[in-house]
Amino acid sequence: MIQPASKSLSSAEAAAFGRELDAVRARVCADLGQRDVDHIRAVIRLARYCAVAGRALLHTGLDPATFGLGVGALAAAKILENMEVAHNVMHGQYDWTGDPALDSKSYEWDMVPHEAYWRQSHNVDHHTYTNILGRDRDIGYGFLRMSRLQPWQPQHLLQPAVTAVLALAFQWGIAFHDLHLDEVFSGRQSLPALRRRAAPVLRKAGWQLAKDYLVFPALALWNAPRVALGNLLANGIRNLWTFAIIFCGHFPEGVEMFHEAELRDESRGDWYLRQLNGSANIAGSRAFDVLCGHLSYQIEHHMFPDLPAARYPEIAPQVREICARYGQRYHTGRLGTQLASVLKQVVRNSLPTAA
Amino acid sequence: MHLPTMAITAPSPGAAQQLRDAGLRLARAAWRRWFLARHAEFWLGDLGTSWSLAAPRARVVDVIDETADTRTLVLAPGSRWPGHRAGQYVPVEIEVAGVRVRRCYSISSGGAEPGARRIAITVRRVAGGRASAALHQLRRGAIVGLGAPAGDFVLGPPAAAKLVLVGGGSGITPIMALVRELAARPEAAGARDVVVIHGSRGAADAIFGDALASLAARLPWLRVHARRDDDPATGGRLDPAGLRALVPDLADREIFVCGPPGLIDLVSAAAREVGALHRVHHERFVAAEVQGAGSAPGALAITLVRTGIEVVATGTAPLLVQLERAGQRPAYGCRMGICHTCRCRKLRGTVEDSATGLVSSEPDQDIRLCVSIARSELALEL
Repeated sequence: MIQPASKSLSSAEAAAFGRELDAVRARVCADLGQRDVDHIRAVIRLARYCAVAGRALLHTGLDPATFGLGVGALAAAKILENMEVAHNVMHGQYDWTGDPALDSKSYEWDMVPHEAYWRQSHNVDHHTYTNILGRDRDIGYGFLRMSRLQPWQPQHLLQPAVTAVLALAFQWGIAFHDLHLDEVFSGRQSLPALRRRAAPVLRKAGWQLAKDYLVFPALALWNAPRVALGNLLANGIRNLWTFAIIFCGHFPEGVEMFHEAELRDESRGDWYLRQLNGSANIAGSRAFDVLCGHLSYQIEHHMFPDLPAARYPEIAPQVREICARYGQRYHTGRLGTQLASVLKQVVRNSLPTAA
Repeated sequence: MHLPTMAITAPSPGAAQQLRDAGLRLARAAWRRWFLARHAEFWLGDLGTSWSLAAPRARVVDVIDETADTRTLVLAPGSRWPGHRAGQYVPVEIEVAGVRVRRCYSISSGGAEPGARRIAITVRRVAGGRASAALHQLRRGAIVGLGAPAGDFVLGPPAAAKLVLVGGGSGITPIMALVRELAARPEAAGARDVVVIHGSRGAADAIFGDALASLAARLPWLRVHARRDDDPATGGRLDPAGLRALVPDLADREIFVCGPPGLIDLVSAAAREVGALHRVHHERFVAAEVQGAGSAPGALAITLVRTGIEVVATGTAPLLVQLERAGQRPAYGCRMGICHTCRCRKLRGTVEDSATGLVSSEPDQDIRLCVSIARSELALEL
């Protein structure tokens, strides 16, 4: 069993803890304004200019140096767009602005997963039922064993290799995750139902493939192979980056998983406690924060998923102080430390252990 | 084993046509999806142009002070301006502290063809009004969003020859548009007979007072009666007797009235007396109703405008629960205000966020049903 590092609170203490965090939330809500939209628009602009620069270098250059720069700029554009813009906009963090370009329900990201499915599996399933085994489908995405609380099965022996493939093709992992393939194997989803569910996913994937591997290469004429390869590499770099950041958010050692019984009579304070004990932060610079869409503040993100993420750095000290007062562990570490811890978990949990 | 036979034939002309159509459809979809939706709006906005492929925009080309608290903004709409008729209003959208705010204003210039180069709106600054204050801050060169012009406060084709136009306060703005429209139509001006009654608190508050006076001096068919509440010499505030005295032939005229509810009621009552109620055209200016957040909620009617269903909310349960109790099934996710699945447009009314205590009382704001508590009667886009 994983030893809970945090002190267990009485229901009165949990309620008080929740009220303090609600107050943090209310203070930010009352202060939302111009600087929040200025920030997100600046990032959108940066991502757009990076994309234009990257594509221009890939399309017009002939030498390896412009190829490398082009791939780097395009990967940066995709990372900024996916992490700081799309993920946060699709959480509804900017719905209060009324700007159609920042609207959670109509935003379309430069990535394969289908937006409507993602909003359900991420915003609802993952964020409401965070780290509840059997409810949060993001725990090991249904095929990795990330905790001793999950029963060991022989296929878990392969999970170090499976994890490497998932990291390289992470966008496809998220897209196929929404098909609920495990429910087909267990008989809970019929094949016609799967076909209906898959149609929008395949359509979206088709558009993405056509864009990166047909249309842009065709526009590059003689440079078509170079552009297709550059797009593949940029997508791959983005996949590795998002995989690393997202796995560091919930799977370092010491982050807790919960049984479904936890949900019974869970108060708002208990919910905050579960978000805190089920998430881990990554310490880094401001530029690092933006490049991971402020998921370096995974704890704050899980407590306040629909507050503009750029606010997390300023409320983190308050959250940390509240956690300390209530004897709660605030899990944080550098990227290297957290990533090493995650990979150790992947390897350790591939071997059978008593539950 | 029996294999299904595949008929391989040269594509018939019909098939070639279908293939071409499918290709064109795909190309158009790609253009819309990749260029128009993702890039065109961004780059047009980033380059600071007033044209847009999604929604009409306009550039402020002139700012004219009308009175101490009223300004006219002369706007140059982008090429997509659909045209409008004199007397119509237009939704104007601007950003205030990062939030899009949309308000309807009467167009104070005359009618315009599609693609018109200039329109004008005249805005009185409302105490505590976010939109009007921000519009007053705009300088030449600023960009505003425009909705589609609408409203039936317009001269019929053909315009009646005998008219009475009554404007009170900022209600004079669509009246001014009608007068300008008539002045620009030389046809049948000989038989025309137009009376304008212009009510205001005082001479300093009279929007378009000078403009109307100079038009009246120039146009033989136009008479303007200025009524100032603070000046008995002008007859003071308009009353039924005053209206009868100014327009003894009310029954013979097409009647347009715009202003506070009291003025519209007064003119309507006078018209009813002479059997001319069907000739009254009116435009109401209603300020957004702001209600106290602490008001005890009794039974409040919630109108679902898409389905036309009315639900009664009682107690302090969130709207999602109220709607479910009434048999409705709105989309929802977390039920605790984090996932935005139950987001819904509130057209009118006041709600309070149960988690933050923030109050939303402006029209056309998005709310989350699972954490919003009704504080007044509501209209929801459901």
